[in-house]
Amino acid sequence: MQLAVKNLAKLYDQKRGLASASFEVDKGELIAIVGHNGAGKSTLLKMLGNWIVPDSGTVMIDGVDLKKRMEVVGKVGFIPEDPNLFDFFSVEYNLKLFAALSCVPMSRVEDILGDFNLLFFRRSKVQALSKGLKQRVSIARALLADPALLILDEPTSGLDFEMTREIYRLLNAMHAAGKTIIFTSHRPEEIKNLATRIMVLHQGRLVFDGSPQEYFQSEIHEELYAS
Amino acid sequence: MMRNILILALNDLAISFKNKTFLLILFIPLFVFLTLNLVDETGVEASRINIGLVRQETLDPAIIASISAAENLVEVTWVETPEEGILLLKERKIDGVLTRNDEAPGSLALLVLKRDSINTLAIMQTFSALQKTAEGAGPDWITGIDSVHQGGIQRETLPMWILMLILLIGFIILPAQVAEEKEKKLLLALLQTPITEVQWLTAKLLLGVLLILAAVLFLHVLGQFGAVHFFDYFAILLAGSFCFSAFGIFLGFLCRNQATARTLGVIFYLPHLLPSAMADVSQQFNAIAPLLPSYQLYKPLQSILLENASLSELTFDWVYLVLLGSLMMWFSYLLLKRRWLM
Repeated sequence: MQLAVKNLAKLYDQKRGLASASFEVDKGELIAIVGHNGAGKSTLLKMLGNWIVPDSGTVMIDGVDLKKRMEVVGKVGFIPEDPNLFDFFSVEYNLKLFAALSCVPMSRVEDILGDFNLLFFRRSKVQALSKGLKQRVSIARALLADPALLILDEPTSGLDFEMTREIYRLLNAMHAAGKTIIFTSHRPEEIKNLATRIMVLHQGRLVFDGSPQEYFQSEIHEELYAS
Repeated sequence: MMRNILILALNDLAISFKNKTFLLILFIPLFVFLTLNLVDETGVEASRINIGLVRQETLDPAIIASISAAENLVEVTWVETPEEGILLLKERKIDGVLTRNDEAPGSLALLVLKRDSINTLAIMQTFSALQKTAEGAGPDWITGIDSVHQGGIQRETLPMWILMLILLIGFIILPAQVAEEKEKKLLLALLQTPITEVQWLTAKLLLGVLLILAAVLFLHVLGQFGAVHFFDYFAILLAGSFCFSAFGIFLGFLCRNQATARTLGVIFYLPHLLPSAMADVSQQFNAIAPLLPSYQLYKPLQSILLENASLSELTFDWVYLVLLGSLMMWFSYLLLKRRWLM
């Protein structure tokens, strides 16, 4: 087991946040977490990405507590919904900065630029890129340190159809390369043929955890997305 | 068209309320009002001056009698030697030291901290009035003025400009930069790499110190101000830039966005700058200023640049600055660990 989440909770008020969640993730899984806005998806992922401190509960990655940030930092790549890049610098600068901080050889930046079709944009300032391209740079940056677990919060949010397909193609490629991937979506139909496992959050609680086939045959899908 | 302009203006107003900019609209006039009141209340006539007299010096008995009779205007502090008087002067415990003026027998020489100050003016006016009361027409008793502060008026204002630069970088620039990194989630992105919180804080601190030192150096080059006691001067600048950079980083952590950081920065900047910078022209400010961290930097800067003091005489000040800076860094570390307002 690569990831073990136990009684993880973070409540902003009585209704918002994650009330409690426990689950385990094996290596190589591609998990989609679905739920309406405010269901607790982003809160869960931000806690897994060490962005926010939980109220209670534990997260173990390869048997190491997530609180020991320096021991797990290279194992997890977190990609937020809004790409958090240094806008006023170029794509190449952003990647090189993070490569330097992650003690990754600069040749890795060249590889990543090629892998993500970013060679043409390497000198472009990030602020001049479309959201889809920024998202691509953001994913590329997360992969610099070659983390085994990738966490993506709403990776297709605000993207057009073509860009959404491009992101899902990237997710598939990374999954095929052996990465464990967890991502959120509030459009379950889109990830029907992508995820190997679906988890549903509703009002801060995990209400479903199973295969895509089980999910689409279940009443949960009808109840949450009937309209 | 007017309707749209009105809606946009109202929206801008709502934004200024939301990001606390409106606080400055209240704070700045209130602060200026209080400042003006403090300056006005210390009129030259209203103030009671404190004069040091050297016990060994034999002054004209008529002058001594006049001073003693005017105890509501002049408070006398007896010192054993002129050096003891200078020490009290530097500690702001007396306003001036009166000695015999050997160049003009029968008259007095006045030693003050700063020649062009409200205290010097008050002493001259008071003694001129005492002389007129005692002798009627005739020459003034005080015929010579010496100042402890060295250099011209430009050099005398140098500590104030340096304080202004340090506070500007510490309270305005650094909090905004920290808040921007928080607002755009850049700090969280950086913490996805194997850097530690302490490394990030140290880098920010280093930035603040370097910006301050570069600004001060630039000021010296432009104004062609030479440094006195270079090591002591550099050390106190280092302690001050450490303290106020750490302070600024902490303020940045208290804010969710840049606009709030700017507002908070101004709220800290003005009360730290003005009382210290105006301590020499207002006794009220002179009383308030020592309570502020900025004064613990301003006073040593003055002492080193204008009074030839050395760091060993300013131990309390630099230890205070280093301790306060360290405390601020510790608070920032705790907030960063808690991912406060991120």
